[in-house]
Amino acid sequence: MSTEAGAVTFQHVFKAFGPKQVLRDVSFQVQPGETLCILGRSGTGKSVTLKLLMALLKPDQGSIRVEQDDITCLNEKGLSKVRRKMGFLFQDAALFDSLTLYENLALPLRRLTEKTEEEINFAIDKVLGNVGLGGDKEKMPAALSGGMRKRAGLARALVLEPKILLADEPSSGLDRITASEIDELLLRQKAEYGTTILVVTHDIHGARRVGDRFAVFDKGDLVAFGEVGEIERSENETARRLVSEE
Amino acid sequence: MTLHTRSTLVTFGAAAMIPTVQALAFFVEIGPLVAGLLMAGRVGSGIGAVLANMRATEQIDGIESLSIDSFKFLVVPRVVAAVVALPLLTLFMDFAGLLGGFLSEFTSSKISFALYIRRAFENLELANFVAPTAKTAVFGFIIGTVSAYFGYTTNRGSEGVGYAATSSVVVSSLLIILADVFLVKFIFFVFPETAL
Repeated sequence: MSTEAGAVTFQHVFKAFGPKQVLRDVSFQVQPGETLCILGRSGTGKSVTLKLLMALLKPDQGSIRVEQDDITCLNEKGLSKVRRKMGFLFQDAALFDSLTLYENLALPLRRLTEKTEEEINFAIDKVLGNVGLGGDKEKMPAALSGGMRKRAGLARALVLEPKILLADEPSSGLDRITASEIDELLLRQKAEYGTTILVVTHDIHGARRVGDRFAVFDKGDLVAFGEVGEIERSENETARRLVSEE
Repeated sequence: MTLHTRSTLVTFGAAAMIPTVQALAFFVEIGPLVAGLLMAGRVGSGIGAVLANMRATEQIDGIESLSIDSFKFLVVPRVVAAVVALPLLTLFMDFAGLLGGFLSEFTSSKISFALYIRRAFENLELANFVAPTAKTAVFGFIIGTVSAYFGYTTNRGSEGVGYAATSSVVVSSLLIILADVFLVKFIFFVFPETAL
């Protein structure tokens, strides 16, 4: 692993929930502007990896760096600063169900920026337009379809213009066409803004489209890491099977 | 209350005391305690269930991921609202009880509203209802913190929503009754003239 500061660096990270060891000695680095797809069977610690990175969970051992900051050593104020660099698309979008789509996006802008209401309107219209929800901003989350919720979740993750985007199964539960639209949005975000993206996914077709490199987890271990060709030649059978399109 | 006490007071020739008894009972104890227990049932279960649902659906993680302190954003306003709202609801409860007492007494004795109110308040001092009403702010604090605790800290998914709602009501109610005992003693200690 490079000793230079990447956008995200995991070093010897361990995480257990009770007797269950979810991550065991995980180390990897993601470069700025790169898209890393995290693959693995269910329950192998993929989502936990993203939550550790967002400091929603704390590792038992090891260090996690976001650019220069070791988030395992930061207090709440420091963590808040680091989180400002990141956006998180949750598996079920995690929109606030008591707020309209517009208010969901306006909340972080009002609380964390000095923007005027006019500037907030402009920023929300822009990001909702980018995800194709320009006409739905007054809708409540319950009134949105699964695909719209994912796109709304992505809009909220992007509204603060993060340098790093974390997406937890952005295409789960969606049809191929809608999943492909989500992939397009991720690709556009990377191309236009140079955003570093970490995607947890089971959709290998989408992963091959958006991913520069792949990390494959199995039973808490990082069993393969690299470009798709490297994973296909991996000695680990689970890794080979997970990237196989057949 | 009036229906229960009327026959006894009439037997002892103390029917004129009915408004006073009614007002004292409501302002000193029944109003604050019943308002607290009702709010524990209605608002406590609501706070517990809403926060537990937000935890189960990752909405609280969503708030944290936006660099917003979820405790300050979700818990503090609810606790403050409970502390402020319960004394106001208690006053409403007291006066509603008094009005109900008047209607009950009016059907029996045709007492005028003005006379009922004058008799209700003639033996009531300010301290008789300020301190008992103010103590409900403590009840509000108990409801807010206990319910928020069960909702905010649950990690049992959707099953935790029901658990948080039930636990919020049960624990809040028990703590309110327990706190009431100590607060009554405390009020007697600070305002000895309020002892009946």
